[in-house]
Amino acid sequence: MEDYKFLFKVVLVGNAGVGKTCLVRRFTQGLFPPGQGATIGVDFMIKTVEVDGEKVKLQIWDTAGQERFRSITQSYYRSAHALILVYDISCQPTFDCLPDWLREIEEYANNKVLRILVGNKTDREDREIPRHIGEDFAQRHGMYFLETSAKEAENVERLFMEIAVELMEQAKCKELPKYDGSLGPINGKTTSVGDTSCCLRS
Amino acid sequence: MSFVKCCFEAGEGHDFLDSFVQKCTDPGCCCGCCSALRPRYKRLVDNIFPASPQDGLVKSNMEKLTFYSLSSPEKLDRIGEYLFQKASRDIYRRRHGFVIIAMEAMDQLLLACHSQTLNLFVESFLKMVQKLLESTDPQLQILATQSFVRFANIEEDTPSYHRRYDFFVSKFSAMCHSNHGDTSTRDKIRLAGIQGLQGVIRKTVSDDLVENIWEAQHMDKIVPSLLYNMQSAEKYETVSCMETEARDGAEEEPPRLAECCLRELVGRASFGHIRSVLRPVLTHFDRHELWVPNDFAVHTFKIIMFSIQAQYSYSVVEALMQHVEAAGAGGAGEPRGRARVRAACAAVLSHIVAIAAADSVGPSVLEIINNLLTNLRASVARDSEKETDEKLYQEALINALGEFSDHLPDFQKIDIMMFIVNKVPSTQRGAKGTKADAMLQTILLKSLLKVGTTYKTTELSKAFPAAFLEALLRLAAAAAPPSRALLQRLLHTLLDRRHHAGLLRAPTVDYAELGLTVEKCSRQDLIFISKHGYAIFSSLYEGLQLESNTLENIETIYTTLALLCIELASEETICDIMQLILAIQQSSVSNPVLSVAQQCHLVAVSVALAALLPHVVLLPLDRLQDYIDKIIESRREEAPHLLPPLQPDYPQLGPAALPNKLPYLMIDQMAVCECLKACGVDASRLQSPSPYAAGAALALAHRHSWVEAGAAQGRDSLADIGAPPGAGLELDSAHSSPGVQRHAGSTQAAGVSLEALRRAAGGPSDAERRELERRRATLNNAFRTAPFHHLLTLTQPKYEIQEKLEEIFSSISEEPLLPASGACSPAGNTKSYQQSVPPYTKYFPELFLY
Repeated sequence: MEDYKFLFKVVLVGNAGVGKTCLVRRFTQGLFPPGQGATIGVDFMIKTVEVDGEKVKLQIWDTAGQERFRSITQSYYRSAHALILVYDISCQPTFDCLPDWLREIEEYANNKVLRILVGNKTDREDREIPRHIGEDFAQRHGMYFLETSAKEAENVERLFMEIAVELMEQAKCKELPKYDGSLGPINGKTTSVGDTSCCLRS
Repeated sequence: MSFVKCCFEAGEGHDFLDSFVQKCTDPGCCCGCCSALRPRYKRLVDNIFPASPQDGLVKSNMEKLTFYSLSSPEKLDRIGEYLFQKASRDIYRRRHGFVIIAMEAMDQLLLACHSQTLNLFVESFLKMVQKLLESTDPQLQILATQSFVRFANIEEDTPSYHRRYDFFVSKFSAMCHSNHGDTSTRDKIRLAGIQGLQGVIRKTVSDDLVENIWEAQHMDKIVPSLLYNMQSAEKYETVSCMETEARDGAEEEPPRLAECCLRELVGRASFGHIRSVLRPVLTHFDRHELWVPNDFAVHTFKIIMFSIQAQYSYSVVEALMQHVEAAGAGGAGEPRGRARVRAACAAVLSHIVAIAAADSVGPSVLEIINNLLTNLRASVARDSEKETDEKLYQEALINALGEFSDHLPDFQKIDIMMFIVNKVPSTQRGAKGTKADAMLQTILLKSLLKVGTTYKTTELSKAFPAAFLEALLRLAAAAAPPSRALLQRLLHTLLDRRHHAGLLRAPTVDYAELGLTVEKCSRQDLIFISKHGYAIFSSLYEGLQLESNTLENIETIYTTLALLCIELASEETICDIMQLILAIQQSSVSNPVLSVAQQCHLVAVSVALAALLPHVVLLPLDRLQDYIDKIIESRREEAPHLLPPLQPDYPQLGPAALPNKLPYLMIDQMAVCECLKACGVDASRLQSPSPYAAGAALALAHRHSWVEAGAAQGRDSLADIGAPPGAGLELDSAHSSPGVQRHAGSTQAAGVSLEALRRAAGGPSDAERRELERRRATLNNAFRTAPFHHLLTLTQPKYEIQEKLEEIFSSISEEPLLPASGACSPAGNTKSYQQSVPPYTKYFPELFLY
């Protein structure tokens, strides 16, 4: 039934082993594969969600974190509507790589792409990156921020739903350009970033 | 009628009716359970589905549907849409059996219908394919791919401007990387992915109106996906072209199919698109670190070279070369690793460059060569000697150069050698070049040698165009000792038509058992040697006089001379050669800079060459042979150190055994003359004084500049100035080609350039003057400090003392002489100059030549 109103492409990026595939599997199939092997190249999943009574189809491209696939994964950034940048809260190096990732996104992705920073594996006891550090980083770079646990299904649904809502809003704004013509998109964007990250902080 | 049939069928069984009712409970379905009230196309579509999916498509009803859509094509788009709706509902409900049937029906309709009516139907069809691809079930994905491939093979004649393929490219690429737990399923999915990509390529590549497949966003997905599958093959066998038997098995394994697909892609690429294919290839190799070891890289690039349209093949070489450069400039990784990658890249280059060579023409050839040389130079510039990887890299580049030129026609090889020779940095004689310069020189000479070995000499004048010869001879004098040896080796390869170089590696006197094959020297070669002989001989002679010579230098020059003898010996040239031999022998005693070992070497070399002559000249030279044999015999008894083989050092040699103490063991000019005359050779030329300056470097520093000045002017002036005075040129003028202007005897210097005049007017350059000063000092010193008896023996032979006197005399008188000649010709008055030069050379040759 091809009755969805919107189609959005979401791409997950981040170092190898931070749990990108698990997030996607949890969201699309509702399961947590314990012995998930490393993704090769790119994986693809689809999920239709409902926002305000309208069907939104999410194409989720789950990229490999390994360095050697970087060239092919980069080619998927361009058409993305939203980029989820994932790190592992129990692994400092994955957080340290974030600036590199941002540089790559800057280079290959559309500059209006929606960017979300996700600290995964909140179920782990050995947290290395405090929540506020991640939040600060996200704020500095104009990203949304969320901490999730694919294992405990914590915030996973919410992550994708927020994305769907935000993207739909953006799409509607674009559909009705006369609605708020005087307000520049940048201005609108920054306020919305502030608002949402505040509300996400909970 | 169809209505009746429909009812009839419906009445056939309750099962069917039940399932039908079930199917129609959807709110979207318009008319409830009564099929009779639905539009006809919907009824027809419904009827193709069996009661149970296991039964498969109802064939007879499918035919009806096909017939209907053919007779009323305007309904086709609605049929498609309806089928799609049904199928997506079935996917949602995971009734895969029905999905497969729907897809099958769509395939059949697609094939049956005429292309012009397809356009709208295709939209539904592609939506259907996409829907199937979106599902997680491998079976449906594979099914969708197969349908897509079938669709891709249909030629549409109406363009579809709005159709987008980026989802398909993305999805198929993702499938190519499938990591399914089950290996056979994984392979099937990957195979499907590759087939899908192949389909997209076929569909889009030929049509300019649809998506541009060559854009980076697509190529960045397609190419790495193909390569990723290819690299998983156990072994790489490269077949030069798409052979049918290679294609048979291709359907089963992803690597083979990926290879086919890559071939197809590259084969369809036009010039502007080559880069967009190559860039992802290069990045992929970088990312996956596939350069070291480079088996796969070689394999891949060979495939590319074999399948690319021939006229573009050089652009692959170019791209790879640029990549090598870029890898040198920066990039990730520690320097050692980078150097290794660079070496591996260059090795790949050397593998593929040969394939490119066959199709390269004109400027692209030189461009490739130039690029290779630039890379070599860059490598030398950053080189630190300890890095062996850098060495490997240079070797690989030189190999590439060799491979490339090996496949070019011979006339281009000479062009290339000229090109390389011009890139060699010229270090002025005496002046010390930088270390990098010396290394570059060595490397360029190595490249030259590599190219030279691929060249098959037929005629000397073709192998040595005047400018090339001149450049080589200039280098022969200027370079550092190892480079000089390399240069001589290059001369060997170019001279050696009958493969004697191996036999004549070191001087010997026993030629009889070497089995030399000698043929009569051709007319053209005789012309060549009479034109350039003097320049060549004097350059070689000069090369023997350098105090920096190692054993290798002397041996290589010997080989060159021996080869010259073999290739060119004839009645006409024998005197010239003999003259040179005598001059070499003479120089061993008269050149003050030579060490004892070098003196011995020169004597040995000259006797070795003299012994060679009777073997190579097709004349009965019994007397000469006897004479030489006698000398050899007596040397064997008294002074074996004056015979080959050459020793690096002669430690046990007393002063009494020096060559200058044993004049009776030397080859005597008069005796040789007698011998030659007895054999019927006109030896008059031999009696005329030697044109090779006995004072060696002292005089040569001066003479060299003349040769150079003349050579700069081109071939005729080189020939005329270079030709020794009094040397008969009858052969030369008799066979001169019409275009070449010729000057006979007395007007020899007519071609002197303004440059030469200026040089003459200015006297020797500073460097030359310094050199002169130094030599004079050593000479004076020698006379002042040497023990009396030494001086006595030194000056004992009659002709030697005369020689020495002249040398001392001329070294004093030289400076006033030359400015005087220059002063005769103010403002470059050529005429007066002409008159002023020949008299010296003609009437006072000894004086002129010291």
